Amino acid sequence: MNTGIAERGWSLPEAASAPSEDYRSALRRRLFAADLAVVLCWASTAGAVALYLLSGGVSQIHSKADAVTALGIIAGLAGTNLILIMLLLAARIPWLDRAVGQDVAIGWHRRLGKPVLYLILAHAALLTLGYAATDGLDVVGETAAFLSNRDMILAYLALALLLAVVVTSLVAVRRKFPYEAWHLIHLLSYAAVLLALPHELSYGGVLAAGTVERIYWIALYLLAYGAAAWYRFAKPLLLSLRHDFRVVSVERLAPDVISIHLRGRELGRLGIAGGQYATWRFWSARNWWHSHPLSFSAMPHGDLLRITVRGAGSGTAGLAGLRRGTRVWFEGPYGLFSRHARSAPNLALVGAGIGVTPLRALLEDSRHSGGETALLVRASDESQLYLWEELHTLCEWHGGTAFADVGPRSRATSSWLSADAVRRGVSLQSVFPRILHSDLYICGPGPWAELVAQEAKALGLEDHQIHLERFDS
Amino acid sequence: MRTRAVLGGVFSSAAILIGAWSLSGAPKAVHVAAAATTTGTTTPGSGTASSGTSGSAGSGSTGGASPAPSSTASAGKASGTYTGSVVSTQYGNVQVQVTLSQGKITDVTALQLTDREGRSVQISNYAAPILRQEVLTAQSASVDTVSGATYTSEGYLTSLQAALDQAG
Ligand SMILES: Cc1cc2nc3c(=O)[nH]c(=O)nc-3n(C[C@H](O)[C@H](O)[C@H](O)COP(=O)(O)OP(=O)(O)OC[C@H]3O[C@@H](n4cnc5c(N)ncnc54)[C@H](O)[C@@H]3O)c2cc1C
Repeated sequence: MNTGIAERGWSLPEAASAPSEDYRSALRRRLFAADLAVVLCWASTAGAVALYLLSGGVSQIHSKADAVTALGIIAGLAGTNLILIMLLLAARIPWLDRAVGQDVAIGWHRRLGKPVLYLILAHAALLTLGYAATDGLDVVGETAAFLSNRDMILAYLALALLLAVVVTSLVAVRRKFPYEAWHLIHLLSYAAVLLALPHELSYGGVLAAGTVERIYWIALYLLAYGAAAWYRFAKPLLLSLRHDFRVVSVERLAPDVISIHLRGRELGRLGIAGGQYATWRFWSARNWWHSHPLSFSAMPHGDLLRITVRGAGSGTAGLAGLRRGTRVWFEGPYGLFSRHARSAPNLALVGAGIGVTPLRALLEDSRHSGGETALLVRASDESQLYLWEELHTLCEWHGGTAFADVGPRSRATSSWLSADAVRRGVSLQSVFPRILHSDLYICGPGPWAELVAQEAKALGLEDHQIHLERFDS
Repeated sequence: MRTRAVLGGVFSSAAILIGAWSLSGAPKAVHVAAAATTTGTTTPGSGTASSGTSGSAGSGSTGGASPAPSSTASAGKASGTYTGSVVSTQYGNVQVQVTLSQGKITDVTALQLTDREGRSVQISNYAAPILRQEVLTAQSASVDTVSGATYTSEGYLTSLQAALDQAG
């Protein structure tokens, strides 16, 4: 029953009656939510320290050793609060995805990694020094005293795990690991935070019965672990079972590019917006153990869905051999690279290579808004103009134009355009005359996408007009 | 807009911290003696001697929560188990129970130790065995406090003295 899939996969959107939308109030709401998220991160960390101060923490300082101990406690409280915020940022919470996008949330999560490690290391060092001074022991003796306690042994173990998680995430180190190995190590952070819990209960008085601190910390732990358990694990599993996706066919577009057609149930309930992606897991002997984020390359049509994949490494290359009927699990849809991020009347799309996939679905999902639509695709040769026919047709339907910039990149200057285009003086402004009143969607390899974004910023586009999707994380 | 977020974050955090700091009060020195006030008096049943628990030095701390009644002893030299008063310190209550045999201190059991913070639990667990040993050696409550565990020591020895006073 897979006849006509290709046709249906890229049928034109129904002529939308929606007039020019007022993006402004939606944008204002979104930016407010984004800023609120940042303020909450700061304020809750301050709040955790404040609760300690209010519980009389500082009034018990009688000596230098007490002061060192108090600082160590504060470092530990702030660090733990931030770790729980990191778990929340990585928990795929829909509210956060709609406000800032999954990639931005993960960007914040990454930025917190090192500060958190430093705070926790300071916590361990300061408390060892402070206790040692109070007990009249040296650091070695105090550490030995700590290690005679079961809860403290677990806490040291948690610290070691945390170190492993952060160190393997340093850019230079992370490259040395396959993605799956890194990811597995990273998931240990859930264990690390739990291993640290017993010593917080027994040594740290923060959870003493009947205090506000106890209520705060229990709530934060429940929130972080509850959100992760639900949004990262339970919900994707339930959705995968509900929609029950199966491979219908694998279509080869180029030697290293395939489209995978999927059939599932009740696709309307997924609420997919063009430009979004999901993380896919294919249950075949060769592929079940790795999952990949892949954009929808077309909007759902009936019970059919399409993703288009370039063999970037051994994982994605293996997908070409998928059999009809293979069970498919997914996490998603995620991402703000969609019409939900619109803030201006015109649409300017720039893609490179396989980066056209979300642009293809975004075009299909965009309404006539009275504005202009234009697309520029960058490819080093003709064979890399994937889905070109569809992109061209959709642009025409929008009354716009699709440009292709084909050719090797410039060696002399670092430009996101081909050497030929650079010579002819092509620029963002020349391709998109109304760029200043456009939403610019850029999708492709990270460094290339950055170059486009830089040029846009230099032209005076606001941050909220520039939408980036990087395929290489 | 990002500036708005960061400014909002910084200012709200500063406000929260400054508010908490001023409410918590600046560090103030609390004199140990002032803090260690005797509150509760003897628990019912304590002070009366019983045959059941007398003697057996070093028999460990059994039945800490409810002091067992003790039987009478001969005049002069007290025997039995005596429970001291509850001494409250800023880190929690301290209460000990002493076992006498013919006027001799054979065991001291801590019924309650400072536990208000995890830190003081650790201090207590560290100080209590030292104090017990010193008391058994000195056969009185006049022993040195354990350094780094002043509150616990003061409470421990005060409660012990109250127990010994009951024994007469
Ligand atoms: C939001 C998003 C949308 C994407 N959409 C598409 C698409 O529509 N079509 C397409 O062909 N490619 C897409 N990609 C890229 C695709 O996910 C990677 O090329 C693929 O995961 C590489 O896996 P590999 O094992 O084949 O290669 P490897 O050589 O193992 O990895 C190559 C790169 O991909 C990263 N990577 C591998 N697995 C994952 C993972 N599970 N999550 C995140 N990063 C991973 C690695 O860190 C490495 O940088 C998208 C990526 C992202 C982040």
